[in-house]
Amino acid sequence: MTKTYTPWFLLVVALALAAVYLFPLYWMYVTSLKTGSEMFANPPTFWPNNPNPGIYPEVWARRAMPTFLTNSVLIAGGVTAITVILGTGCAYVLARYRNVWIDVGLFCVLMLQVLPASVMVTPLFVGFNQIGLLNYPRTAVVLAAAAKAMPFFVVLVRATFMSVPRELEEAALVDGNSRIGAFFSIVLPLARNGILVCAILTFMSAFGEYIYSKSIIQSPSQQPASVGLSGFLGPNSTDWSSIMAYSAIYVTPILLAFVILQRRIVSGLTSGALK
Amino acid sequence: MSRFLNWLRDGVGFDILLVGAALLFLVALAGAPLIYNVLMSFQQVDMFTLGVLFRPFVGFDNYVAVVRQPEFWLVTRNTLIFVFGSMTGQFVLGFALALFFAQNFPGASTIRGLFLVSWVMPGLVVGAIWSWILAGDFGVLNVILKSLGIIQSNIFWKSDPNFSIWAVIIANIWLGLAFNMLLLSVGLAAIPKDLYEAAELDGANAFQRFWTITLPMMRPTIGAVLSLGLIGTLQQFDLFPALTEGGPANTSNVAGFWSWQLSFQLYDFAKGATVSVMMFLLVLFASVVYVRSTRHEVRG
Repeated sequence: MTKTYTPWFLLVVALALAAVYLFPLYWMYVTSLKTGSEMFANPPTFWPNNPNPGIYPEVWARRAMPTFLTNSVLIAGGVTAITVILGTGCAYVLARYRNVWIDVGLFCVLMLQVLPASVMVTPLFVGFNQIGLLNYPRTAVVLAAAAKAMPFFVVLVRATFMSVPRELEEAALVDGNSRIGAFFSIVLPLARNGILVCAILTFMSAFGEYIYSKSIIQSPSQQPASVGLSGFLGPNSTDWSSIMAYSAIYVTPILLAFVILQRRIVSGLTSGALK
Repeated sequence: MSRFLNWLRDGVGFDILLVGAALLFLVALAGAPLIYNVLMSFQQVDMFTLGVLFRPFVGFDNYVAVVRQPEFWLVTRNTLIFVFGSMTGQFVLGFALALFFAQNFPGASTIRGLFLVSWVMPGLVVGAIWSWILAGDFGVLNVILKSLGIIQSNIFWKSDPNFSIWAVIIANIWLGLAFNMLLLSVGLAAIPKDLYEAAELDGANAFQRFWTITLPMMRPTIGAVLSLGLIGTLQQFDLFPALTEGGPANTSNVAGFWSWQLSFQLYDFAKGATVSVMMFLLVLFASVVYVRSTRHEVRG
C-alpha cells in the first residue's frame, strides 16, 4: 500500500470501529421498529422488513411518558441550577489562588467526587426522613443529586477559569472595578462557554439520575423517566420493542445535544479531568 | 456595617462567600451524611427506629452480622471480579483505540468523539439495551458469536450463574471504554513527536518505540485513568437493576447494589449503612491513588 492511500484506509477502519461500537444504539432503534414476529426471528433481521413506528405513540401513552419526562426535566433542571449557581463561584476561587487551604479545599472536592451514590443513599434517606424532607421527594432528590454533581462540575469549571488570563481581571480592578464587578463583567463572560458546556453535561447526567429517585420518590406521578423505565425492566422482561421504544424516546434528545455539542464537550472534558 | 459590606464586595470576603456557599452545601449533603453513615453502622436502625433521633448503639454487631451473611463472601468476590474485569476491558480496549486514533487521518478526532455518546447516556438505558443484546434466546450477541463459530449453543448471559456477572461487566466496559480512550488520547497527544522520530532513526521498531517511549511518557496519565476507572466502576449502580438485579442467587451482586438492597428492599438500614461504610473504605483507597497520580500530572 502506498503512503497516499494510508489515511483513507485508516478512515475506513475508524468508521468500521465506530459502527461496531455504536451498534447497541442502532440495535435499540431497529428493535423498536420491529413488529411482534420479527422480534424473535431466527436469524434476526438487521434491517426491519416492515418498519413500524406505531409502537412509539403507544408506549408514549401507555407508559405515561409525558409525566415521567416532565419530572426528569424538573429534577435535572433543579440539579443544574443549584450546581451552576453554587459551583461556579467555588470553582473560580479554587482556580485563582495557590495555597495550602486551596489545596485542602480541592482535595475535599475531589474526595466528594468519588463518593458512590450507593454509599450516600441510605444516610440521605434516613436523614431526610428525620427532618421531614421526604414529604417533598422531588426536592430531596434534587438536593441529593446536586451534591453528587457539584464536585465534578467544580473540577471541570475550575479548568476553564484557569485559562482566563489573570491580567484582564487585574486591569479591571486598576480601572476602578470592584471585585464583584470584575467577576461579573470580565471573568464570567470569558468563561461563559466552558460553564455552559459543563452545565449541559450536568443536565445530561441528572436527566438519567436513577438511584436517588428510585429510593426516595414513592409516587409514580413524581418519578423521573429512569424509574419509569425500570418499572418494566428486569431479568425476565420480554416486551423488548416497547422497552427499546421507551429508551429511544428517552435518550434521543441527549444524543442530539451531544452530537451538536460534541467538540466542545470533548475539549471541556479533556481539559478538566486530568488536571 | 458598610465596612463589612465593602469587605464582602472588594476584599477576600467575596471569595470566602463564593467558596463558603458551595462548601456549606456540600458539607450538609455529602459530608454530614457520610459521617451519619458511620454512626448508623454502629446503631440499631430498622423501620421502628428510622425516624428516632437517638437510637440504641450496638457496637460492632452490624459488622459481625454483615460478615456472617451467607452472601457476604460471594458479594466480595463479585465486587473484585467486577472491578478487575471492567477496568481491564475498559483500559486495554480504550488504550488500543486511543493508539489507533492517534494516527493522522481525516476525521480522526470527530469519529473518536462520537464514541463518547456511550458515556453521556443514562445508565439505565445502557442497561436496557444490553439486556436485550445479551438475552439468552433471541439476543443478538449469541447469534453473532454462533455465526462466527465462537460458541456452539446459546449462552444465557443474565440467568446463568457462571455468566451473570460478566453480563454486567460487558455492559460496563462499553459504558466506560470511551472515557478511558479519551483521557489516554490526551496523554498520547502530549508526547513530543521528535522522540519517535529520533527512535525511528536509531532503528527502533514499533513495539520498541511503544515500550521505551509511549509507556514511560504515559505513566502519569495511565495512573490517573486507572484510578478514575476504579472509582467509576465502584460507583456503577444503574446497570445492576437493569440487567440482573444481582441475580441469580446473588451471583452478579456487588457491594454497592447489595448495600442498596439491604436498605431499600429488606429495610435493614443498619446493615445497608454498614456495607456502604465498608465500600467507602475501598473508594477511599482508590481516591488516594487518584489524587497522587493527578498531583504528578499537574507538576510534571
